[in-house]
Amino acid sequence: MATGGYVGKILYVNLTDGRIEEIPTSKYEQWGGGHGMGSAVFFDLVKDKTIDGFDPENVVTFMTSPFSGTLTPSASGRTEVQGIGVQSYPVGWFTRANFGGRFSAELKYAGWDGIAIQGKAEKPVWINIVNGEVSIEDAVGIWGLNTHEAQQKIWSIVGGDEAENGEWRGMSTGRDSGRTTQRPAVVTIGVAGENLNRNAMLLHDSGNSAGQGGFGGVLGSKNLKAVSVVGTGSVPVADPAALMDLRMELQAGFAYNVEEPVLEAPMADFPFYGIITRSPGASTVMWKGKDHPNRPQGCIGCFRACRRRWENGVANGDGCAESTYWMMGTQDENMAATHLLDQLGLNHYDAKNYSYLLALYKMGILGPGMQIDTKLPFENYKSYAFIEAYTKAIANREDIGADLAEGFARAAEKWGRYEEDTTSGILALPNWGFSEHYDPRIEVEWSYGSILGDRDINEHGLNTHVHWAPQVQAMVKQAPLVPAEQLVNLIAEATGLEPEGWDYSPDGIYADAKIAAVAWHRHYSRFWIQSMGMCDTAWPMLVNQVSEDHKGATPEYEPRLFEAVTGTVLSYEDSLELGRKIWNLDKAIWVLQGRHRDQEVHTGYVYSVPTTAPYFLPAKVDGVWDYSTCVGRTLDREKWEGVKTRFFELEGWDPATGWPTRATLEALDLSAVADELDAAGKLGA
Amino acid sequence: MVDKDNTVVPAAEATGLSRREFVTGIGGTGVGLVLGGLLVKGFMLPDEVYAIPASEGYLLVDTKKCAGCESCMLACSLVHYGRENTSLARIQITQDPFGTFPQDLQMDQCRQCPYPACVDACPTGAMHADAATGARMVDERKCIGCERCVNACPFTPSRVQWNHEDKHAQKCDLCKDTPYWNHEGGADGMQACVAICPMKAISFTKEIPAQSEQGYQVNLRDAHWGHIGFPTDDAGKIVPQPAPAPAPAAK
Repeated sequence: MATGGYVGKILYVNLTDGRIEEIPTSKYEQWGGGHGMGSAVFFDLVKDKTIDGFDPENVVTFMTSPFSGTLTPSASGRTEVQGIGVQSYPVGWFTRANFGGRFSAELKYAGWDGIAIQGKAEKPVWINIVNGEVSIEDAVGIWGLNTHEAQQKIWSIVGGDEAENGEWRGMSTGRDSGRTTQRPAVVTIGVAGENLNRNAMLLHDSGNSAGQGGFGGVLGSKNLKAVSVVGTGSVPVADPAALMDLRMELQAGFAYNVEEPVLEAPMADFPFYGIITRSPGASTVMWKGKDHPNRPQGCIGCFRACRRRWENGVANGDGCAESTYWMMGTQDENMAATHLLDQLGLNHYDAKNYSYLLALYKMGILGPGMQIDTKLPFENYKSYAFIEAYTKAIANREDIGADLAEGFARAAEKWGRYEEDTTSGILALPNWGFSEHYDPRIEVEWSYGSILGDRDINEHGLNTHVHWAPQVQAMVKQAPLVPAEQLVNLIAEATGLEPEGWDYSPDGIYADAKIAAVAWHRHYSRFWIQSMGMCDTAWPMLVNQVSEDHKGATPEYEPRLFEAVTGTVLSYEDSLELGRKIWNLDKAIWVLQGRHRDQEVHTGYVYSVPTTAPYFLPAKVDGVWDYSTCVGRTLDREKWEGVKTRFFELEGWDPATGWPTRATLEALDLSAVADELDAAGKLGA
Repeated sequence: MVDKDNTVVPAAEATGLSRREFVTGIGGTGVGLVLGGLLVKGFMLPDEVYAIPASEGYLLVDTKKCAGCESCMLACSLVHYGRENTSLARIQITQDPFGTFPQDLQMDQCRQCPYPACVDACPTGAMHADAATGARMVDERKCIGCERCVNACPFTPSRVQWNHEDKHAQKCDLCKDTPYWNHEGGADGMQACVAICPMKAISFTKEIPAQSEQGYQVNLRDAHWGHIGFPTDDAGKIVPQPAPAPAPAAK
């Protein structure tokens, strides 16, 4: 039984009948937190797993972890969101999204380890959580607002608006309920979510979005505009001095030292290089500070602060791919386009496919009076006016936005183009309708993990070292700081697997060592990233690019942090087992939803269109390790089928179907899950 | 800055200058720049006023360098109470996520005022200057919970807080009393917020710093800060474009 990390209860809100109840966290503590708890709570609350994501019975969970709200570095501020999604194609799988900021911490301070929301309100509402007091409030005056306005409006209601900035505010009438200077943490949907857009995201503060899954649309279908939380309670920590020591050690060894950096970028104001040095503000890869002075901005408790807040207040907190949404204008226009996405509550990663529409426009298929009839100003597609009109059209379901609000996969299907365009690759949606993120033909932990799961996995801990570090150094014509052979040996040491697990050669991506690496990646991520809320851009820390020995913090520090916070001992090996258990529970839910191995196939271009751009990854060729450009690569259909078979065997799943077997589930103490699969006739043989 | 204290403070009759007036002037906003470079002992004041020893240390903050991660708040709560609670942090970061840099964020640390209104206001002597370090701190056993100290602090938010869980006033003690930390704190030791701030936006000084209505005049941003794309000038308006750094040695 943990002595720290948890605050004791999970909130259940039923919007249909207004029930507000408590679930003891202890019932779910065995799952660690975050995703594990969310999956288990979902499994118990949703009796019929085959329902659609828009069905009122769908449950959306917002889960914290024992690390939330603590000093655990790059692990304090993330909230895991789960439920049946509406974005993935052709099936809306049970899925997850995740956002940073401070919502998870505030929820813990309010005394809640998580929230489970079920049902559908009769009229638009928002949920107000002030410590232990929870109410369902009328959203009149908030519904219809953009994501920024909605939060500001709620601050003006709960406290912490402009007039009260920086004041200590009481929670209720008595001083013993505590005071805070902090604004309530609000997560909200925009008009895209209200319009049941399948690519609508959730936004918290500025730039913290739960992008994938279409949870904006799911909350919209529940008539739920926002959840606000503010709290003044404490999160117990089992061994505070140990946590403080660990934080200081990790900061000294693995954070960027802003006063005495070990290594600096070869040119000034070049955030991309921060992928290697971990410098603050590194995620805003396309935006420069010279035109707009700014500060670094971090989620609560983070020691990296990868984002920025700008002098013009535009696109605050946005980073990474969000900063690449629009790149054809001035920096001001590019930032404004991302800002607009945020305000409307749209997920960048689907909306960015306007490049596909431009291709159709140039092919004479899309345009005024064309087969795909649109009045959007494609003739001026390099202008901000275009991206503004286009983005608003999706959020408001206007013009072809009515089709695109269903997601690009469904829109292309409606237009009769899905098969052709995903085979040619002009519409690059390699798995489950999600846009290509990293090359699915080469960086296969990403593509295998995504198609074997439910979404684009979006886990950068490994990707940073195997792909980005050599890629960025190639961009600036530097020799790799960590040679390929040393890199794979370091990762092998950190993971306990073979160096060949990180061989991205044409043969390496089908080898048994690679399959073991993919399984490790799923299990590690399920526990440490998604259940313990460790940020995927920081963890696992497999390699230290800038230190002398290049040794990372993984796997030494994760279990030590877990013990310092919770007071319970969890070995690295046991943590992977717990990750495997959570992964099996998720898989069981997908199987109940209709998953079969025959569906786990990427779209056509992955198998037929060779890569052309240099894409650096370690590869072992003729016994020699090097970073390969990996040009001219496709995935082999037959070999992928073989990989699946061996992966299922490794996981203890039926190779014919990919379904978990009773023996596997029972060995993981998941007998009830096996029974439910059995009852549905979907237990692996 | 709002003067919230309406309590009557004994005046230094001989000079006609009340300690209260002096405190407001020093700690609050009555004068623009009151202590530039001077040590407190250099002030010529009547004995009745000059009764509280100066703190032997001060926290300096550079609000333009802060990343808003609030790690300082988490560290403060952790080392003093062994638990995490931003409401129990003696340094507060308040910010507007939609705000414009640099007005979007404040770092609210105790100034260890030369003439501390909080000490003055305390009817029991619970709020006192530590004999060893001069840090203004609370003797929790003597605190009766009247909150006069909380209200007396001339700053917003008050740098003295009511600890609603343990039922006593609290304020920054420069980490003198940190039972949950394996390091020696205090004016001659380490301070948790300084040790933890990943941006090094908080530093510690033994000399009383210059201050204005906006707080201390501190710029902790150097050329390395400019190199990664952040402004280094006092006003936070200019991002320098220095010469390229040397390329790392190839291996």
